[in-house]
Amino acid sequence: MTNPVRPAQFLKSFGRGLVSGIPYFWLLLFFVIPFVIVLKISFAESQIAQPPFTDLTSFADDMLTISLNLFNYIDLYEYDLYLDGYISSVKIAGISTILCLLIGYPIAYAIAKLPPHARNLALMLVILPSWTSFLIRIYAWIGLLKNNGLINNALLGLGLIDEPLVMLHTPIAVYIGIVYAYLPFMILPIYTNLVKHDHTLLEAASDLGATPAAAFFKVTLPLSVSGIVAGSMLVFIPSVGEFVIPELLGGPDTLMIGKLLWSEFFNARNWPGASAVAVVMLIMLIIPITIFQRYQAKDLEAIADD
Amino acid sequence: MTNAGIGRWSWMALVSGFIFLYVPIFILMFYSFNESRLVTVWAGFSIKWYGELFRDEQMMSAVWMSLKIAFLSASMAVVLGTMAAIAMVRFGRFRGKTMFTGMITAPLVMPEVITGLSLLLLFVTLSQALGWPAERGSVTIWIAHTTFCMAYVAVVVSSRLREFDRSLEEAAMDLGASRLGVFFRITLPIVAPALLAGWLLAFTLSLDDLVIASFVSGPGSTTLPMVVFSSVRLGVSPKINALATLLVLAVSMATFIAWWYMRRQELIRQKEIQSAFNK
Amino acid sequence: MATEQSNSQIENKKLVQLEIKKLEKDFDGFKAVNNISLDIYQGEIFALLGASGCGKSTLLRLLAGFEMPTAGDILLNGQSLIGLSPHERPINMMFQSYALFPHMTVEQNIAFGLRYEHLSKVEITRKIDEVLNLVQMAQYAKRKPHQLSGGQQQRVALARSLAKEPKLLLLDEPMGALDKKLRTQMQLEIVDILESVEVTCVMVTHDQEEAMTMASRVGIMDAGVIRQIGQPIEVYEQPNCRMTAEFIGSVNIFEGTLSVDEPDHAQINCPDLPVPIHVAHGVVGSFGMQLAFALRPEKVRVDMEKPANAHNFARGVIEDIAYLGSHSIYHLRLPSGKKVLASVANSDRLVTGDDAPRLTWNDEVYLSWSEKSGVVLSA
Repeated sequence: MTNPVRPAQFLKSFGRGLVSGIPYFWLLLFFVIPFVIVLKISFAESQIAQPPFTDLTSFADDMLTISLNLFNYIDLYEYDLYLDGYISSVKIAGISTILCLLIGYPIAYAIAKLPPHARNLALMLVILPSWTSFLIRIYAWIGLLKNNGLINNALLGLGLIDEPLVMLHTPIAVYIGIVYAYLPFMILPIYTNLVKHDHTLLEAASDLGATPAAAFFKVTLPLSVSGIVAGSMLVFIPSVGEFVIPELLGGPDTLMIGKLLWSEFFNARNWPGASAVAVVMLIMLIIPITIFQRYQAKDLEAIADD
Repeated sequence: MTNAGIGRWSWMALVSGFIFLYVPIFILMFYSFNESRLVTVWAGFSIKWYGELFRDEQMMSAVWMSLKIAFLSASMAVVLGTMAAIAMVRFGRFRGKTMFTGMITAPLVMPEVITGLSLLLLFVTLSQALGWPAERGSVTIWIAHTTFCMAYVAVVVSSRLREFDRSLEEAAMDLGASRLGVFFRITLPIVAPALLAGWLLAFTLSLDDLVIASFVSGPGSTTLPMVVFSSVRLGVSPKINALATLLVLAVSMATFIAWWYMRRQELIRQKEIQSAFNK
Repeated sequence: MATEQSNSQIENKKLVQLEIKKLEKDFDGFKAVNNISLDIYQGEIFALLGASGCGKSTLLRLLAGFEMPTAGDILLNGQSLIGLSPHERPINMMFQSYALFPHMTVEQNIAFGLRYEHLSKVEITRKIDEVLNLVQMAQYAKRKPHQLSGGQQQRVALARSLAKEPKLLLLDEPMGALDKKLRTQMQLEIVDILESVEVTCVMVTHDQEEAMTMASRVGIMDAGVIRQIGQPIEVYEQPNCRMTAEFIGSVNIFEGTLSVDEPDHAQINCPDLPVPIHVAHGVVGSFGMQLAFALRPEKVRVDMEKPANAHNFARGVIEDIAYLGSHSIYHLRLPSGKKVLASVANSDRLVTGDDAPRLTWNDEVYLSWSEKSGVVLSA
């Protein structure tokens, strides 16, 4: 006997449709379609008008003409500025990610070893700065790194240096800024992973003759890989497109693609050019974003299946 | 993972980590009380920069604008993010689920310049085609912020929903509650703390955003980070230090009150459980 | 005791309260419940007993309305429940985890269901008092669930599901969340409460001791079907197939062929035994057919001397002895290599250092059983 479709049944599926449909539609309209438009406009030509780009399609003499303008992409290839920008963005983001990992892992490890009530407090202290203001935390480093800033003043005062070290507006300042701003995003996923580890595994390892160091490298580290990957992606992907940090802490020669996109858009008012920069950046980030989603989705689906 | 002894190396990592995280902020706050305009040379205690901050009308109207947008974005993000979380955790497999999950989590890592640019181009295209939005301003910022904040809310709420004991809902239905009744009388009260946490996270994220807002804002809708950014670009100013101090104090006070409250509840709970067993 | 009392009730009334007719539930091609038909009588406690994954929980959830059947019908007092949501069924359930609402007090938990009954405030309060007194939890009315011990939470869960006076009460692994000591105590307490309100009960459990203590009838479930239904004594002493014999308690199985088949006795030739198995009843079967003979360990006698009877014995060596206090389990090995368990009551006090001869490891012994102790099953 099959169930007749009852009003309650209908209401239930209608309700479910609404609950998943509304956010789906919102994200489709405000997250997916915008990318399609970016792609479209990256093939347009810049013009001085409102809006400042040409239409791809024109309709004249009963003919629909679609003109794809590849010059924006050719420009990206031909001007060393962009190519260098991409390379240096990936390099800066990559090195910063590794630095975050080297600094963040021991912190996450230490927090996971604290007694439970202290753990929550420590965790909160890690997150707290990121609830204040990104901009202001970057701004704080300007005062520290300037030629007449606190670090230089202190070093000069101690007689360790004779003339101020140039730190602000150098790549070093950008590294410091990224590590400082994104460190919590590395610590959190690693901590979440480590805190779930069964401590008896380490006891078993040492019972079987492993030294604490060997137990760490053979048991703890391999088990925390998923936390490391998640944390690294959370740092790497946004860093590649970072704008505020290179703008405030980097120098004119610190090329980063987020900054190039910004100036292409706001200063040169070349919208198609900026779109092409964005499209290439997105293509570059597809692999890391997919890795991130794999690790995220594994979590989400493991539960939905049971 | 628990261990009675946290080793010397771990302590060092923890202490130096917190020094790295907090010293720049404390120095920033310290110099907000400096008499001098130069933020690096101490010239005596003064609170004049706080006065100047409150007299800065552009800054104050930007604060108001940012708070308004953050409040509305966080509220909308909680509604949409919760729906998305329910769909992800509760609906099992459905058509388009992979894409749905992808769309929810992608904004978490998407570089802001891309999100900002793409939303701006969407708004321009829409206004060309439909005449809406006629001009960019607080509404477009609200849409943009809701979109990326709902991803965070969805993650927070879905992790709470996944821990949720489904038999509570079945018990409620078994006792006569309809689906809607179950949701409002059982599910919602129990996940409420996660909704609040999601709202607060969304609120701070919206309040903090510079890049996306810069793309999608229009004349007359300047948010606080935009004002701070243009001021910081021109160099350090004690007024910004004063603003930072107030912001840090507000956030840490709110956090510590929440933490203290939760800790107290936990202690009361433990005491009650003990007395229950001692009887 | 409780069991006998309810047996006599059934004999008197035998009114069918719940009819399950050819019920089926299919999960993506997997038949969790496969064509089950079952009658539950008014006032009885019926236990569905089976290993995890046998479909017993699915059957319970079909009754509660959390799952919709693929085919078949469920009738409560003659009326079909198919298509009714859980909240529309006059059936309540006590959950394994108790599912007490953590944000409500004991009182509010019980009031939750009563609110949907359109009762006055006074009446709701009266009912709450009534059920809390029934489970002896009246003094805890204002507590929240987390302030209660496991046993107390269980009483509240029971009170909450009884408050609505359901026509049928479902119990999902009622003792699953309690520790062993508390279990035995609560089993009898709950049976007393259930019998005092005369509610019809279907419970699900994987614990045979629990099923046999609490239920008046037991259904053994396996792979989506009910293999045997009967009173606890029936399913233990007269299993109808190897599966039930092996599932309930432990059992020795001897495989053999039918050699003698008379109306009043039969013999089975078993290659593991030196003499045929002799049973005191006829087996309706063909000569030479394959059969299995099931013998419970407590029905096996162990002696040093050769028993007098001509059938039903074998020689064996003691391989292992598990001393369990009240009795000991002897692990015996026959010359053929077949292993047999024998449970022997420790009726004499065993004192260390006592030099009375006692059975010990590697002793050669005789095992034997009477012609009425075993059950013949199809192989």
